[in-house]
Parts: sequence; structure tokens; C-alpha cells
Amino acid sequence: MSGNYEYLSQEWMDAVISRVRDSLTAEEMKHVSSSMVNIVENCPDGKRRYMYFRFENGLLEEALVGTDDDEVASKNPEFRIIGDYDTFAKISKAELGARSALMRNRIKLKGNMVKALRLSSVVDKLNKIIAQVPTDY
Amino acid sequence: MTDYDYSIDHKKRLSTVQDKMQELNLPVLLGSRLRTISYVGDVFCPWRSFIIIPQDKEPTIYTFVIDAERVRDDSWLDDVRGFGPLGGGHQIDVIADAVSEHLPTSGERRVGVEHGMSCYLPEGNLTAEEFRMLKTSLPGVEFVQSIDIIDELSMKKDRGTVNRFRKASDIVDIGHKAVLDQFEVGMTETEIAGIAEAAMRKAGSEWSWSFTAGNEIASGYRTSYPMGACTPATRRKTAPEEPLMVDLHAMFMLGLGDHSHNYLLSPVSERQRELADYFIETIIKVIDMYGPGMTPGKMADDMMDWAETKGIAQYLVPGFEHGIGVMGDEWRIGMNTGPMPYWTDPDHVYEPDQLLICAMQFMVPEDEAGFRYESPILITKSGCEVLAKTPLEVTEL
Repeated sequence: MSGNYEYLSQEWMDAVISRVRDSLTAEEMKHVSSSMVNIVENCPDGKRRYMYFRFENGLLEEALVGTDDDEVASKNPEFRIIGDYDTFAKISKAELGARSALMRNRIKLKGNMVKALRLSSVVDKLNKIIAQVPTDY
Repeated sequence: MTDYDYSIDHKKRLSTVQDKMQELNLPVLLGSRLRTISYVGDVFCPWRSFIIIPQDKEPTIYTFVIDAERVRDDSWLDDVRGFGPLGGGHQIDVIADAVSEHLPTSGERRVGVEHGMSCYLPEGNLTAEEFRMLKTSLPGVEFVQSIDIIDELSMKKDRGTVNRFRKASDIVDIGHKAVLDQFEVGMTETEIAGIAEAAMRKAGSEWSWSFTAGNEIASGYRTSYPMGACTPATRRKTAPEEPLMVDLHAMFMLGLGDHSHNYLLSPVSERQRELADYFIETIIKVIDMYGPGMTPGKMADDMMDWAETKGIAQYLVPGFEHGIGVMGDEWRIGMNTGPMPYWTDPDHVYEPDQLLICAMQFMVPEDEAGFRYESPILITKSGCEVLAKTPLEVTEL
């Protein structure tokens, strides 16, 4: 046992939630109110998984992870970000920036691009926190 | 300066477009031409843009992301979105997604698009590559050529649109006055363009809209290019004994001003004066002939016959107008119904409330002299109204 969390498991998401709430202040998150779901295609088990985050006034209000069979799949967020498992894994390991992945067409964004670009810096902060969670990919 | 009523009933305008779409069984129209975006969105979109018009909802404008918020701020439409080089944000991806939302899931899936060609560079017809990629992204969709919808509906100008043109012409008149007041022999063409530009900007012009480098200034031999009617200003210095042509362009709320005034720099020769008189006589005759029932073809035939009797036919471009509409609508007059695809139909019949640019180029290369006349004119019930008020003369300086 490595003591790490399995990427995209409920335990992993619980650890993400805990770190985000401990580490990111509403001010750091620019008091943003928005929601996004990362749709992770081609996971090692062949399934699709979803990572959902909803912030209200800069605070993480809701975060879910799951498959097509779970509640998270029915969420209707402001932004949808779609990409392969390998790409999201690199983003979550901070080996690849989300902005860089977008610019290289490795992930696809659905939603208001102007707002998404304005929010990209707070998404970077979120990803940096996620990268601190000890994870097995 | 006079102000007018510039209001446009956007929703009424939109509903006439949507009625036409219903008639043509088009659930969605993908407008890509600048004139279509200007007409429906009433906003200036200088970057590649698209407007998606559903049959029963308000349209969405898609433009380059760096300009999307400004366009939203300026347009009456609330829904303006950006595209750009980010995953999922490519223009074909976002347009294909948006079009899909308005198409039935089964049955006929028809999308109106704007194909075409033009001598006017920023027309905005769907490019071959855009079309190819859209077809790949939207399998099973029938794409229907639909330029006629906007071309037909925008042909007659409503009062607000005419007043915007009227104001743009007032501004151009101010530009001409500034040139007259400040010109000194020895100035370069670009300086003259700048004098006019500064005055017109001060008076509210949004830009010197023509893609012929804004305000066109020609001096000396440059006024007399054979069959030439395009003279971006250069660093050439004006000199005594030369003609000077000042062709100014202003934009006011997408209405376009376009007026040329001509000068002879002293000392003026008798030959120059004779040519100037011919030029003025020709303009007066052309303006006198415009009215309901006239056609571009008949105008050209009658005018060239008249010019032949005067012995000046060789000095004239055998066409006396070009089309004009809100920003993005230039050159072709009327519908695409002529014998030359996408060019003016010589048998287009002018009707009241149509606008055009009365345009005449008079050039005498052997004398290194030329004059240009351009002015927006509004066809009225009994003739036409010339919107530019700068006195019709060749001014001697």
C-alpha cells in the first residue's frame, strides 16, 4: 500500500475537498460563483468519469466524482471540459497546465469562452491544490 | 450638427428574417457575411464572425474571443460568444454545436448558409474550408444557399438607417470643410487624409470605413489612372497646376458616408477648367436621371450615349453607381440576379427607399487630370436625394 488515493475515487475526491477548503480562501478564488465538470474519457477500466466542482462566492460548495451511473453525470454545470484520462492525469499532477492543454486542443471546453478565460487563473489554483493530493494514477 | 432619429426596430427586423426562414423551411440560418451581422445584430464585427439565427429565438453572435464582450456591449443582442484557439473553442466546434441545438433530431435538417464571391474583400462569404469542416461536423445536414434573405430584406432602408447615412454624410461634409480650410500646396496626400480624418473623428465618425485605405486622396497624375477609381493616399506632395481628388469615408452607427470632392491647384489651365466643366455637367445629368424605374444598365447606356455626343465617353468609367448598405454591404446593387454571378444586375430596377452611391470617375491620362464623384443618394418617389451637401463644383485653390 502506498498510502496514496486512487485517482478519481471517492476517497481521492474527499481528500481534494478537504485540501481545497483548508487551502483556498474565497478571496484567493476571487469570490467566484461557477461550476464545471471535467469529463474524463478512456479511463483505465474503459469507463468515463466525471469530476464536478461548484463554487459559490469563492467557496467550494459541492464536489462530486463518479461514472455515467452516478448523480454527477446528470449535473448541468456552467462549463464542461472534456478530455482523455491521460491528459487529466497530467493536469492533476501539475505536469500540464489546463490552459496549455486547451491551447493544444487536448481538452475541449464547452461554455462561455470569455468567462472561462477570465476564470482560468482560479482554475489553476484549484489544480495546484489537487496536485498536492498523494495520488496513484 | 443636426441629429436625427437613428432608431431601428431590431425585433421587427429579426421577425421579418425569421418569417422568411419559415417560408424557406430553414430552422436555422448561419450568417457569415459582415452585412448580415450588421443588419441583424446592428453591431460592428471587424473580426471573423458568425450569427446563428434560429427560426423562433433571438440570434447568437459568435466572434473572435478578444472582441466578444465589446460586441455584446455594443449590440442589442444579449447572446454574444467568443471563439478562439482553445480546445472546444474552435469556431467550427462552437458553431456546429450551436447549429445542432436548433435542428430537429430527425427529418429534414436544413441550415441556411451564405455562399458567394465578391470584389469586396470583407464580404464574409463562408469559405470553402469552413464549409468543408462544417459538413464534416454536421453529417446529414442539408446546407442551403441563403444570401437572398438578407439581400432582399436589406435593400430598402428604414428611416433610422437612412438617418445614419445622412449623419455619416454630414460628417464627411465636415471632413471636406477641414481640408478646404487647412490645405496648403506641398502637403502630402496622407497629410490631407489625416486632416479630414481628424475633423471627421471629432464630429463622431467611427472610422473611415473603406478598405481602400480609408480616405482616398489622389494628386496630379494619380487622379487620372485609366479606368482607375481607387487611390489610397500616398506620401506624394501636392504641387501647383495639379488636380487634387479628396474621397472621404465616415461611418456613423454602421451607416456609411462616401463623398468625393475635387480641386484644381492654381494656376489652373483652360484645359483643366474645360475638363472640370464637363465633369460637373456629367454629374448633374446623372443625378437628374436617378429615380424609380431607372436601372444601372439603362443609366450606363444613356449616359455613355450622352457622353459620346459630348466627345467625353473615353474619359468615363461606364458605370455610374455602386451598391451600399450598412457596414459590410458594398458594391453589388440589389439581388444576385444578374447575368454575371454575384455582380450588379444591370436590370435591377431602383425603387423608393433604396440607397446607392452615385459614383463617377472622369479621367484624362493624357492631361494628367482626373476627377471623381461619389455621394450616397436615396431614391425617392420622384427622383433622388443627394445626402452629401458639399457644394458640387471643382474648387480652384
